[in-house]
Amino acid sequence: MRGLGWLGFGGALGWISGSARAGKAAAEPGNRSLGPEFSYDLRGLGKTDPKLVQYQESGRYASGFKELRCIAVGPGGQVYLAGDRAIKVCTEPGSVLHEIALEEAPRCLAVGGDGALYVGMKDHVQVHRSPDVPGAKWETAGENAVLTSVAVGERDVFVADAGNRQVLHCDLGGKLLGRIGKKDPARNIPGFIVPSPYFDLAIGAEGLLWVANPGQHRLEAYTFDGDFEISWGEPSNAIAGFCGCCNPAHFAMLPDSRFVTSEKGLPRVKIYSRDGKFEGVVAGPEQFPKLIGNPRRAPVAIDVTVDSRGRVLLADPIENAVRIFTRLTES
Amino acid sequence: MPVVDGVRIAAGSQGARQFSQTMTMPAPNPPPSRRQFLGNGFRGAFLFLLGSVTTLLARRSRNQKTVWQIDPLKCVMCNNCATQCVLQPSAVKCVQVYAMCGYCKLCTGYFEPEPNRLTTAAENQVCPTGAIKRRALEDPYYEYSIDEALCIGCAKCVKGCVMFGNGSFFLQVRHDRCVNCNECSIALVCPGQAFMRVPSDEPYRLRERGQA
Repeated sequence: MRGLGWLGFGGALGWISGSARAGKAAAEPGNRSLGPEFSYDLRGLGKTDPKLVQYQESGRYASGFKELRCIAVGPGGQVYLAGDRAIKVCTEPGSVLHEIALEEAPRCLAVGGDGALYVGMKDHVQVHRSPDVPGAKWETAGENAVLTSVAVGERDVFVADAGNRQVLHCDLGGKLLGRIGKKDPARNIPGFIVPSPYFDLAIGAEGLLWVANPGQHRLEAYTFDGDFEISWGEPSNAIAGFCGCCNPAHFAMLPDSRFVTSEKGLPRVKIYSRDGKFEGVVAGPEQFPKLIGNPRRAPVAIDVTVDSRGRVLLADPIENAVRIFTRLTES
Repeated sequence: MPVVDGVRIAAGSQGARQFSQTMTMPAPNPPPSRRQFLGNGFRGAFLFLLGSVTTLLARRSRNQKTVWQIDPLKCVMCNNCATQCVLQPSAVKCVQVYAMCGYCKLCTGYFEPEPNRLTTAAENQVCPTGAIKRRALEDPYYEYSIDEALCIGCAKCVKGCVMFGNGSFFLQVRHDRCVNCNECSIALVCPGQAFMRVPSDEPYRLRERGQA
């Protein structure tokens, strides 16, 4: 009994001593903690309501690039990929028809109705009409130019210049016809706000030029002469809006003139009606786990295009792969 | 008059002649050969070079004082900088690289993720201590700056800026405040291993455009 008593006394002494040490450690500056007001938590926005998802991934293939940047679909259904210092012309499921080597990294591309390839470099466009013939370089857009998007119509080419926050209107030969989007209150032109080099555009079937105004979180429509017509879009982390400080980063138009938008930061690919009403989700943040929540990686955007069947094709810059999304009712 | 063993010898005398024959002065050195001359030259140059290098190294080692700094590309924005520093508030502060900033009206480093309005009201601001100042420039651009006296280095604004924006906000150890502990208490627990010693004459690690 006496031994048990001593054991209990020793245990109590040890417990008191341990508690005292723990109490001392808690008082050290290294053990301070911050309240919930200091947390920046967007995990709730990383999940998409399944009822809103209208597409599912039906295929993917590797681009073969170390840095896949942009994607376009040609009139024959071929997929054009730009990355590293080359253009690849692919057919499904990713077999390369031919590859065009470039002198510098491409930043955007578009394919004309005649199959000519318009590639935007940092400050100029070059046109490739055949994979075996060197591209024809257009005149430079200036020292501050940062070209981010090209769209080709029947007689017109539009080039988005993020560096100068304007759209260059050219003919098919590269002759500059005009500049669109410079702030002009007299013409009711709001001006483009482009905080980062994501500034996309596309030609609509109704004959208007649609341009993303990322700093204003909306898409704006202009006539080819540069008159501002309409706009839609609003900033919000909610699914119907455009998140962050500058989105949408990319967009494309479906054959029926609806919009497919792609956001960076909180990576979301969504469908909007012709008048800008949110309709559904192609791919939510959970489809891009490596793009969200990585604090070391600056936000990168997913270029988007559509094919004649209404499928949505994404250039995933992390996987360096083409990802194909098909509407759920069709798959 | 030469003296030999205390005896003076007259110049021109027989003794003097004998002295000059027996007690000859050392013969002058023959001129060094070309090989000797070059060898001596090389040795001298080597010693001079060795001395210079030693002096340079000694001077450099004296000057190469190092200080703690954060690599912004490794920082994971974990709050430890605010809680683990021996100083209160921490010597780590948010800094702003204006050349990278988008000067956005809706700055995700300044506003809560879902602000009620884009105003400077406290409930709209992401910074719990109100350390970010917003100043209107030409419409619609705004300048954002850090009031370091209020910043505690919690990195909440850095998360918002890096996640959505250009990443112009990031954390740095401010050397007007840091006491440069031998064993930095933040570095010990930094999960991104972002703390490092840097030369005191280049004490900051700034982000640049185009960095991931």
